Amino acid sequence: MRAAQSSIEANKILLEVRRLHKSFGGLQAITDVNLDLPSGIITTLVGPNGAGKTTLFNMITGHLVPTSGTVHWLGESLNGIAPWRIARMGIARTFQDLRLFNHMTVQENIETVMERSSWLWQRRSDAMKQKLEQVLEETELANKRHERAVDLAYAERKFLSLARIMAGDATLWLLDEPASGLDPRSFDRFVALLKSHAQRGVTICIIEHNLDIVIRLSDTVAFLDQGKLLAQGSSEDILKDPHLAAIYFGDR
Amino acid sequence: MLYLQLLVNGIQTGALYALIAAGFSLIFGMTRIFHAAHGATFTIAGFVFYEFYAVLEWGLMPSILACAVAAGLFGVLLNRWVYVIIQRHEGSFFTVFAASFGAVIVVQNLISIVFGKGMVTVTTSLSRSVELIPGLYVAPMAFIAVIAAIVCFALLHYLFTHTNMGVALRALGENPGLIDVFGLNPKSLGNYAFLIGSVLVVPAAILTAATSGLNPAMGHHVMMISIAATIVGGVGSLRGAALAGLLFGLAENLSLAFVDPQWSEAVTFIILFLFIIFRPGGFYGRAIVS
Amino acid sequence: MLAYLQNLLVLFSINAILALTLNFIMGYAGIFSLAQAVFFGIGAYTAAFVALNYTDSLLVCMLAAMSLSALVSMALALPALRVRGEYFVAASLGLQMIGVTIFSEWKSVTGGLGGMVGIPPPVLFGYTFTSITDFLMLAGVILAGILVITSLLVRGSFGRSLMAIRDSESAAQAYGKSVNTVKTLSVAVSAGLAALGGVLYAFYMSFVNVEVFTLDMSILLMAMVIIGGTGTLIGPVVGAAIVMALPAALTYLPFIPPGELGTIQQIIYGAAMVILMMYRPGGVVGGRTKGKSA
Repeated sequence: MRAAQSSIEANKILLEVRRLHKSFGGLQAITDVNLDLPSGIITTLVGPNGAGKTTLFNMITGHLVPTSGTVHWLGESLNGIAPWRIARMGIARTFQDLRLFNHMTVQENIETVMERSSWLWQRRSDAMKQKLEQVLEETELANKRHERAVDLAYAERKFLSLARIMAGDATLWLLDEPASGLDPRSFDRFVALLKSHAQRGVTICIIEHNLDIVIRLSDTVAFLDQGKLLAQGSSEDILKDPHLAAIYFGDR
Repeated sequence: MLYLQLLVNGIQTGALYALIAAGFSLIFGMTRIFHAAHGATFTIAGFVFYEFYAVLEWGLMPSILACAVAAGLFGVLLNRWVYVIIQRHEGSFFTVFAASFGAVIVVQNLISIVFGKGMVTVTTSLSRSVELIPGLYVAPMAFIAVIAAIVCFALLHYLFTHTNMGVALRALGENPGLIDVFGLNPKSLGNYAFLIGSVLVVPAAILTAATSGLNPAMGHHVMMISIAATIVGGVGSLRGAALAGLLFGLAENLSLAFVDPQWSEAVTFIILFLFIIFRPGGFYGRAIVS
Repeated sequence: MLAYLQNLLVLFSINAILALTLNFIMGYAGIFSLAQAVFFGIGAYTAAFVALNYTDSLLVCMLAAMSLSALVSMALALPALRVRGEYFVAASLGLQMIGVTIFSEWKSVTGGLGGMVGIPPPVLFGYTFTSITDFLMLAGVILAGILVITSLLVRGSFGRSLMAIRDSESAAQAYGKSVNTVKTLSVAVSAGLAALGGVLYAFYMSFVNVEVFTLDMSILLMAMVIIGGTGTLIGPVVGAAIVMALPAALTYLPFIPPGELGTIQQIIYGAAMVILMMYRPGGVVGGRTKGKSA
């Protein structure tokens, strides 16, 4: 494992993954992964298909239970905690297939994230209304607020997915291929949004295949292959490594 | 001796339930359609047999044939004319289920118009009980029931392992999307699933006609057993549904030794409840927890 | 004539209450229950029991009925949490059958097959409800109240949680929705409010008996919800009206033998369910789309 650059060590480590293993029956999906996610840093997870990146996310968010190993968030262990509780602890994620609340409007998609489900009714506070407007503005979805999610254009759906995360108070964002397929202008907006939130202290971890995206966004890159974390470092270090490139592009 | 009698009765009932449940499970497992009208298939089969054998006096073989044709036709036509159309538009579980339910209501009431609301039976010498050993009364029907079940399951097994269509049906159950790739037609396979699943009710319908009798509302009970057995047996497992059907037949009868008859139906559902809460995957199924 | 209409309206209100509360879990939470008649029954029997043995205070009876119904609904919530909507139907069927057996057999409390008779009229703040007009007013108020409550719930944060879970349960969880809490709450609300229909019924008829709390009733309620349309608030009310209007309309057709009236009625609404699902899955009110809107 390459050491992380010294400038990154200065940020507090918020998420600690230690010796994580996951096997499905006979299949070893994740082997002995150690990962640190510091605050305000954008980490990108790269690796060939099937490397286990989404599985890793699923174990952090509680959708999957690790076979062994630990995940600590702000010092607390996440083992065995239900996904909805982990979400309330400040960890939010997007899905590769978006999983928007399709039959609800843009506004409803965002509002519902801010509301607690265990109450039968809650007053919409001014703070919530403000947050809603702010998020709608930042993602440029204000004029689509009453459209159903399923009726939106592709880029708008991607931004709605981001809007859902922005509306909550999560301090760790796990984004699964959030920018894939975006046109250049949308992509620029997307990157700007992510960077501005990282500056406000949000910890971001992105799964990405598109190397241009990786280069533009990442503060640090982690390379996953066949369930193992092979290397972690700056995007230059990782992407220029011929050995890793060979794995990524398929000639081993 | 009471227990032995109840056990024998339970096996007889269980064998019939196993067949019906297997039919429902087959249809559901292969087409993912919640064919609540399976109970209606049973009712139709029973009354058709009654009409041809007891009323029109056509003779045993032709009556059985008529019965099978009616059952198979009902299942396939319901699929082709109703389910397929629904699935073309949006076909959520709920829509299909509601339509299926509606069909049950229509069938049940049509039958009651033609045959009246009361019980009808087919009298044969085979349903007369014989005292095998002191205290134990068994009718030849019981043996026929068990043998019919065994034969049917053997045929099914052969179908699924040794014929092209059988293997294709299993593939359909596993992965519907993949079927087109192999040049198979999911629509016609679906029809076959309905045909086979529906015809499976025939032995049970005939035997019920000859023993406890038929009435238009009996489809409800049959549907409940089918659904419960499919869940307890494990969704997707024919073997499981059959076993669960047998279990329910036994439970329904054996419980008579302990509780009043009114509660014996409740016993079936208490078992179902316990499974859902503690083992939702059933005997053999993949876990179906949300 | 007036009395006949008033009677029809009271019964319509009761059916509308039951259909509305059933739609709450079916249309919004995706929990398909065939057990709604059980909660109707619990409401009725509880009100009858309390009125006959303790007090004829309407408020007390309503409170007792709602609480007991909500409590028993936990028996429905538990399997609802474990299995998806498709398989849950079987569990609700089971609860319905067990419920009917208990209603028929627990003689000391429910009066067994004979039921309970001579239920005294309810009293609210000193006012005794005796005439049909009294009950019509009461029914109207309760129906309106339930419409308001369900509307508030559905249009508010709880409704959004329900729909989020329905649209994507994994995403809902990832954004902090406690699926179990939401489902349990929705089942409890549905059962608790349905019990009010039972309370009304018990006092209006001044007699309860298991015959109206059977599977046939649950099926009828489901038909109302389906025909009216599950995706809307008004749908179940419309469905109740349509299904109830059928027998009245049928009596005007001369060629139907009176003995077969009930049968023909069932055939019609059974066929309506089939045809609607094929061409208009949103029901009479909802139209072609089944996707909900608040």
